[in-house]
This record gives sequence, structure tokens and C-alpha cells, in this order.
Amino acid sequence: MQEIMQYIPGNGIFHRVHPLTKLLFTVIIVILAVLTSDLLLLAFLLVAVFLAAWAGGLGRGLTEQIPLLLVLGVMLVLFTVLTMHGGEVLFTLIPAGIPLIGGGLPVTTGALLFGTILSLRFAVMLFAFQLLVVSTKPGELVTTLRQLKMPIDYTLMFLIALRFIPTLQREGIRISEAQLARGYAPGDGMMGKVRGLKPVILPLILNALGKADTLGLTIDMRGYRRGRADTGTLSFGALDGVVILAALALAAIVAATNIILV
Amino acid sequence: MITIDHFSYTYRNREHPVLRDISLSIPKGSMMIVTGPSGAGKTTLCRAMAGILSHVYTGTATGSIAIAGRDIMEYKGIEELSHDVSMVFDDADAQLIFTTVGEEVMTSLENRGLSKKEAEAELVRILDLLQISHLADRAPYTLSGGQKQKAALAATLALGTNVLILDEATSELDEEARNLVFSILRSLADGGRTIVLVEHMIDEAAKYADSCVLVKDGTIAASKTPEEVSRIIQKSLPPITKRPGKEQGDLLIEATGLVHCYGDFCAVDGVDITLRKGEIIAIVGENGSGKTTLVKHFNGLLKPTAGTLRIAGSTCNGHSISVLSRHTGLVFQNPDTMLFEDTVRKEIAFGLKNIGRDQSCIADVLNEVGLAGKEDTNPRHLSRGERQRLALACVVAMGQEVFVLDEPTTGLDLAESLQIMEILMRLSDEGHGIVMITHNPNLATTFADRVMKMSNGKIVCSQEA
Repeated sequence: MQEIMQYIPGNGIFHRVHPLTKLLFTVIIVILAVLTSDLLLLAFLLVAVFLAAWAGGLGRGLTEQIPLLLVLGVMLVLFTVLTMHGGEVLFTLIPAGIPLIGGGLPVTTGALLFGTILSLRFAVMLFAFQLLVVSTKPGELVTTLRQLKMPIDYTLMFLIALRFIPTLQREGIRISEAQLARGYAPGDGMMGKVRGLKPVILPLILNALGKADTLGLTIDMRGYRRGRADTGTLSFGALDGVVILAALALAAIVAATNIILV
Repeated sequence: MITIDHFSYTYRNREHPVLRDISLSIPKGSMMIVTGPSGAGKTTLCRAMAGILSHVYTGTATGSIAIAGRDIMEYKGIEELSHDVSMVFDDADAQLIFTTVGEEVMTSLENRGLSKKEAEAELVRILDLLQISHLADRAPYTLSGGQKQKAALAATLALGTNVLILDEATSELDEEARNLVFSILRSLADGGRTIVLVEHMIDEAAKYADSCVLVKDGTIAASKTPEEVSRIIQKSLPPITKRPGKEQGDLLIEATGLVHCYGDFCAVDGVDITLRKGEIIAIVGENGSGKTTLVKHFNGLLKPTAGTLRIAGSTCNGHSISVLSRHTGLVFQNPDTMLFEDTVRKEIAFGLKNIGRDQSCIADVLNEVGLAGKEDTNPRHLSRGERQRLALACVVAMGQEVFVLDEPTTGLDLAESLQIMEILMRLSDEGHGIVMITHNPNLATTFADRVMKMSNGKIVCSQEA
């Protein structure tokens, strides 16, 4: 089973640079993705992040997320098309021939474009963030966040979220196996599927809530909220300069293209 | 070291106190076992001693608790108490916060204020002590239940507090690992620490501990040596007699050369096993020896990589769960992985509806597992022992020929475990075949017709019990 958003041991470029460098890289990419509304530039950013991942030997981890992103992208486009209108009307979802509601729900070029931009933006941000998470030991990430004076409660929250993703994935599988053993078969059709989720989702949520109490007590009783001693032993190297320069170069390209386009 | 004086406690929004007038004294350098049925108040007692009730929860407490002469209320909070008292909870998963075992233990050591060099030496020592050095770089989600419990204990030992409380923290360990943990605790006590251990296997722990209290309905029913408490418990139980041997029935399960591999790793590696009508087989073996992987084949959750498997007379190597689950019912280790409805009746009806079976048997099944009259109770409000029996009832109601139980007595005391065994014996008398995985060697030899020991995916020993 493939774990989502988990550290993958390795020795690529991204594994060797300082967590702070990667954090900076991610932040720059995310800011660029937010500031850019140009389809081509976003596509360029996506390719750039992908090439960076590939150079760092992390290409596979990212490509595995593509199905999820496609689903997300299609949903985003769908939502935009349904809720936003602009530009030319390509066709209407309800044919004009039908009385009263005929010609409703128009699909417009503006909405399609905006939906695609949103999806690309999401993809860039997700990939950049994933690049950071899969190449950095969570402990080092937390130390870095602490050095940046991030409050301990927030860093712990971040750490726990990362740590429990695979646990919940596994628990979900265990619960669904237990229900399968009771002859449970998810229903047919969309509504059947949604209703069929109850026997799996409900125990998953109840058990997770049950863990929260023990988790909180453990954090307090092990004194984690005191904040750990500063153990920053990682040092910056030439590679850090390369990664930061690459991020800045991307920023320059995006900025320059924006100016030329205007 | 710990003095409890007439302590009572009522949780918020509850009518009845969970602990009633408890007085106890646990001297420095001693190890005390706490035992009793599920829901008796053992966990609450642990939380009282750790100061959690007084500083985190908002119930009503009377009486007092002192650590080394200092009243718990005098501490500023859990934070300050954590320098003196540490506790291992029963849910190991929720106590592993960091992403590797090494980091988990290291963080505890650093919080203790050790220098980098001291901390590293201590890390090696503690992982060695618990025999988990090979797990240092593993993420929590890749560990077995027993390994998680060892890791959680390691992180707590690393805090080096004078008082150490373990609340059913050894429930998923096998016999060897349990004895390792008990002997570590003993040596800590000999070194001047105070140890409180909530444990159901008191016969095993007895030779390591100094004293034992039996908690019942929120009071201390007995406070004596472990051997004496064990005798009191034995006396209150129906006499345990060895199950008489039975004549052989028809074959229900027949596996030959069963192999199951995850990539390069073969969790089940050439197992031959048969189960006949009316037979009870116990499968024992260390954590991670392939027991659960093996039994998941019997109801189709897993398909064999190689070998043949015949169930109820037909070969079914490729059969799916929906076909095989009509022959084999599987009860998982933790009842909470399956309970989701808001009444006991609905919970049992769920499985019956799934296979299109009549619901008239619900009352009989509840009667059979000793839960008659609880039809409208919310499953989550039942005690651990009751939930385990409900999980069993949910599967038994479906009436398959074979029932497989993965660790049916984890977290249960002896009386509750015997209740489960009694149900299994009745089912076998009715002609069902039963396979149970267990870490309790006594239950295995007393109630099973055959005991099979697994190691590294193979059956290394199979004998008539």
C-alpha cells in the first residue's frame, strides 16, 4: 500500500539540502502559484516542480498522486462551470428545446478557463508541498519550524497530522475488512455508495476521537509542550544555494513573463 | 511513595462514582499489580495516581493522593507532575507521536534535559533493553501491536521518572515479551522506582511483583500478595476442566502448502492445516509470526500466493470474500473495528441483513453470549468484555460453519475470558469448527483440541492439547 505524504528515505538533491531551504522553495512556489493566473505559466510551474522532483529521485512519489489530482481537477472545473459564467457560451447542459428550464446551466469559456487555472494551481501547490514532506524527516521539519519560532502547539499539530495519515489509512482498511467479514457489500449507485460508507466511516471517526484523549495526555505527560532542546546540527551547503537560486529563477521567469504579457 | 487516602471520584455528567473510598499505600521500590474485571475502575485508579483526574478532567474528587509525601494538588499541573510520574496507556498507537521509534524515545530523552551524547547512549541502552534496536528507524504504522506497545514503553522509560504506571500496556505482547517487560519493571523497582502495573495475567506477573490489589465496582476488594489474590480470583470462578477429546467430524478447512507473500516477504510460508466439525484449534506464536495473515485466508480476505485451500468441501483458491464469508465468520481482535450502530440489536441485525437472514435469532444469540436485556444499549457504552462478546455475537448470529477469532481475550480478565471460552465450547458442541489465535498459553491448552505454534510463517509445532 502506498502511504500518502510520508517521508521516503533517499539521497537525492532534496534529501541533502537544509529543511529551511526546502521550506523556502515550497513557499516561493506556492506564492508564485497564487499570484499567477496565466494558464501557460502555471503549466510551466507544474513542469518545473516535476522536473525538480525527478532530479531529486522523487518523481514516482509524485506521479502516484496524479489520479487523485485528476479527480480533484475535474470536480473543480465542474464546480466552476456550474457556479460561474463568463466569456462565450459553448453549449448549455440542459438543451434549449426543453420548455421552462431549457437553455439553463450554460457552459462558458470563462468558467472552463478559470476552473482549469484553479486545478493547475492546486496541483502546483500540492506537488511543491509534497516534495518538502517526502524528502524531509518529520523531526527535522519540526526542529526547523521551532527555529523559526513557530509556536510548539502548531508544530505538534503539523507533526501529528503527518504521522496519523497512514495510521488512519490502515485503520480504514481494517474496519472495511471487518465489515466485509460480516457480509457487508456497499450498495449500488451513487446513493448506495454514500450510504454504504457509514459502517466504515463511523467506527473510523469514533476510534480516532478515542485516540485523541490518550494522545493529548501523552503529549502533556512526556513534557513535549516544553519544547525540545535546539538540536539544529544540519548545515547549509552549496546545494542549498542551487535550490534557492532555482526557486528565485522561477520567480524571475514568472515575473518577467507577467510584465511582457501586460 | 504513593499514598491514596479515602479517595473517591465521579466523572462529570455521571451519577455514580467510579472510585469509592480507595485507600492504598505503595512503598518506594515496590511493584504492585492492579487487576479486576473490565469497567471496574482500574484505568480511573491509574489516572488518579498520575494526577490526570485532578489536573485535566473536571469530575468531582474527594480524599487525597500524595506522591512522595507531596499532595498531587500542590503540583502546578500535569507538566510539573510529569517530572515525577509517567504512565503508559493501553492504546499504544495513540502514544507514538513521532515518525520513527528512535525519534520517539530520543525526544523523551532530550526533554529530560540530557546532553546529545548522554541521550544517544541512553537511547541505545533503552532500545537494547526492550530488544527493539532493529525498530529504531521504523515508522509507527509499520509496527505490529506488540511492537507498538514496546515502543510506547521505551519512550516512557526514557523519561526516567520515579513512579511508572502501566495501564494494560502489555496486552498485545506474547508470553516471552511479557516476561521481558515484567523483569525490566522488577529491576527498576529494585533500583528504587515505584511501579504500578494493571495486568490480567497475574499468574505470570506474580513472581515479579510485591503486592496485588483486586479492584471491583470501584472499590478495593482485596489487597494481598499476587499469589493470594490469584487464589481469590480462582475461587470465584467455575471450576476449569480440561475439555474432553472428541471424535473426529467432517473436514471443514483443509489447507496444503499455503503460502502468502507481500512482495519478497512471505508472511505465511507453506502451512498445512485442517479443521474438522466440532474441533477447536488454537494458534499461538510470537507477534508477527503470520497468524493473522493465515486466518484471513479462511474467509477470503486474502488469497493464497501458492498452495491449495479447501473450505467446506470445495476448492476455493480464487474465491472472494463474499463467497467464503458465507462459510467462515471472522471476529477481529479489537471489537471497535466493527461496532458502529447505536443499539446492540441493530449491530447484530447489520450482518443478518447483509446475508438476507431472518432477524428472529437476535434474542437467542444475545442470550447465548450473556448480553440478554441489552438490546437497546449503545455498543460504545458497554464494557470492553461486553463489547468483545457483542462482536462475537454479531458473527455467531450469521451462523457460518467455521468461526475464526483473532485474540478474543485481549483486554479481558480471567472471568471474562472464560465466558468467551464457554461460548466457543458450546458452538463447537453444536458442530461448528473454531480457530482462535491467542497469546494466552493456558487458554490454548485448556480449551483447544489442538495447539499449533507458528514462527516465521511456518507451523513449527502442532500437538493434541
